[in-house]
Parts: sequence; C-alpha cells; structure tokens
Amino acid sequence: MAEKRIKVLVAKPGLDGHDRGAKVIALALKEAGMEVIYTGLHKTIDQIVNIAIQEDVDVIGLSIMSGAHIPLTRKLMEKLKELGIQDKKIFVGGVIPSKDIPKLKEMGVEGVFPGGTPIEEIISAIKASVKK
Amino acid sequence: MNPNDLAERIISGDEKAASRAISMIENGEETGFEVLSKLYPKTGTSFRIGVTGSPGAGKSTIIDRLAFCYGKKGKKIGVIAIDPTSIKTKGAFFGDRLRLKNAEKIEGIFIRSMAHRGFSGGISKAALGAECILEALGKEIIIVESVGVGQTELSISLISDVVITVLTPDFGDEIQLMKAGLLDIGDIIVMNKMDIPNAEEKAKDIIHYLESIKGEISVPLVKTIARQGQGVELLIDTLEQEREKKLKEEKENKEKIKTLVIALIKEEMEKGIEEMMEKNITFNDLLAQVISKKLDPYYMARLVVSNILKNGKLEETLG
Repeated sequence: MAEKRIKVLVAKPGLDGHDRGAKVIALALKEAGMEVIYTGLHKTIDQIVNIAIQEDVDVIGLSIMSGAHIPLTRKLMEKLKELGIQDKKIFVGGVIPSKDIPKLKEMGVEGVFPGGTPIEEIISAIKASVKK
Repeated sequence: MNPNDLAERIISGDEKAASRAISMIENGEETGFEVLSKLYPKTGTSFRIGVTGSPGAGKSTIIDRLAFCYGKKGKKIGVIAIDPTSIKTKGAFFGDRLRLKNAEKIEGIFIRSMAHRGFSGGISKAALGAECILEALGKEIIIVESVGVGQTELSISLISDVVITVLTPDFGDEIQLMKAGLLDIGDIIVMNKMDIPNAEEKAKDIIHYLESIKGEISVPLVKTIARQGQGVELLIDTLEQEREKKLKEEKENKEKIKTLVIALIKEEMEKGIEEMMEKNITFNDLLAQVISKKLDPYYMARLVVSNILKNGKLEETLG
C-alpha cells in the first residue's frame, strides 16, 4: 500500500502582497516530505476553501502580514463550519502579535507561528497535528 | 466510508466526495479502488486532453487558456496537474494554480494537483482513476498536465484521447528535438511564445522535421502566444478535429488500453515482489553470494524471476 503523504495548502488571503515567507515555508515543508500547494496572492477565503476541498488537503496554513489575521481567520473557520468540514488542521503564520495568539487558538486554530518561528518547530507541529 | 455511497455522491456532483476518492486511490486505499470499479463502466464520453512539453514551455498557461475558452462555451472542466515528487524527500511542490488564474474564474472548474510519486512515465499512477472520478462528477473536458521531462512522457498518451506537445521557438536545434523524443508523442504540436525573435523560422524548422520523420502522417502545428490567448481558438478547433480522427482508430485505442494495463501490472508486481523478497531466505542467501562475488547480479535476477514465474513464489530450495 502506498503511504499516506501529508498534504498542505499554503494560502495567502486578502490584500497583502508579501509572499516570500509563504514560499520559504512551502519549500521547507516539501523538503520535509510533504505535498504542498501554494495558492498565490490575494485569494478570498471562499477561494481558499474551494481549493482545500478540491485538493483534499490535511492542513491549511494561512500566511498573513496585513494585520487582518483575526477577521480573516474567523471567516475561514466560519466557512469551514458552514460546509461541514472538520477534518482540516488550521495554522496561521506571519506578523501576529503575541496577544492575538490565544484569540486565534480559541477559534480553533491548531498552531500559530509568528515571524521568526524555527522551521523545525512548524514541521513537527504539522506532523503531530495530522497524526491526531 | 461505504464505496456505494461515495460513488453515488460523486455522480450527484459532490466535490468533497470526488476529491476524497482521488486521495484514496493515490494512497492505495481499497475503498478508492472499489469506488473506481463502480464508476469506470459509466465513463468514456469525456474529452481527455493530455499536455506535455519541456519545463517552462508554457504548458500551464496553455491549459489556463484552453480551460477558459472551453468554459466560455459552457463546457464543464476538470484539470489534473501532475508535478514531480522529489526523489530525495518524497515531498512535492505545486505551483500550477498561480498560472491558472483565468481558469479559476470558470464556474464549476475542478483543479487537482497530483504528485507523480515515482510512477514511471511522467504521470501519476492515480491519474487514470482521477480522470474517471472527474468524469463521473460531470466534467466534459478533462485536461491532464504531465511532468515536463521528454523521453519518459509516453504514458500521458495512454490516458488521453489527444496529446498536445508544447514547444517554444528556443527549443535549440534539430538534434535537441531528436534527442528529447518529444515530437514522437504529440498528436498536435503547439509552438508557443511566437512573439520571441525568429519564431516563424523555428516553426518552419519543426514543420520540416515533422514531415521528414512522419512521412504521410501529418501532425498539425498550431502557433500560439498563450499569455495573450492568441491561437487558442485555433488550437481548440484542431483538438476537436484530432478527436474525431482518434475515435475511428479502434486498433490503436485497444493497444493503448493494453499498454496501460501492463504498466499497472508491472507497478503492482513491483510492490508485491519487494514485499516477497524482504524476508525470503533464498533471496537473502543468493544476495549474500552476489555481495561476496560468488554469483553475478544478472544470474541471480534471472534465476529468481524464472522461479517466481514457475511456482508463483520464490522456493525455499532451488533445483
């Protein structure tokens, strides 16, 4: 039997146009043996959810540098709930003030990685979450 | 999950069910294959377009434009983009969606990325299964993009009705073409990026080359500037013409299915044999003799295979 590979969607929601970080993460996850899909810039939450469904990913990682992480993440969680999707693990990275981390986790986000988080930490958090 | 339910949900247009079933086939899960067995007899009416060509030739951009134009005509589109699996890490990176910006706007389009996961020939083992599932989901045009690496690209033609090979005017010289073997596969050659210098001349070179190798069989060449959408309508007309022609080639179509099944049998056997060998005493004995140079590797391989073919397994003692 072929082994199951972890499939990750690296998504850039909203208006921010900085994706250096998202690309670095995407390549690091690939190097860690995962199958990574990158959405490209300026996606709406609806588009991101649609891609996540068609690609049947295990993990959705939002990369947000615009400061809009709270409303964007809330919208994503609401959309997933509306469509009855419960099996995807959600991570958020980017410019995230530490005071917002508990708020994001309360919404159901699995892990938050502010800029400067070691890549190894991100990889092991994703692997651990998918095994659950 | 019940395969009957899953198949029913796919036929009723449930994208979640379709995408889950594709994953199951990718991961080799039994349920996925059961779903496929139910759907396969109902398929065969969609138009499956394979797209191959060297990296950077514009395959994704061509697909984007094709999907967009077919979509505007009211067709329901599925796209399967196959990318390489890293040999070192087994990971994969899919960037195709960045090029499918126009296609993404088409309503009801289903785009799925697949890593080829080591299957020989530039397509993924699950690609045929994914095609069937997308057809059952109601897609009329299914475009498959293969890993762009020349020579080993034969398998794309096994799971496509018509194959497009995308080239650019900077393909190099005739020797490069002969080496790459790309022109042996395509039913249609697309010369993309016709806006770069000397493009017309290079297109003529290709036409001469095609005439010299294919004799009377003419492979049409379509010139495009995909980024601007130029030539894409002509490409669609050419695709439809080739499709008509192909439908009449009964013998070739049977041959294709045979080759495909043999490729799948080899793949299945490879897995089975690896498992069989791992703990086999005879295998390890012989291997030790090869390592110590008492036997040579060819001798061992031939001995093992003839034994398996005769007995269905590798005997404990070889006569």
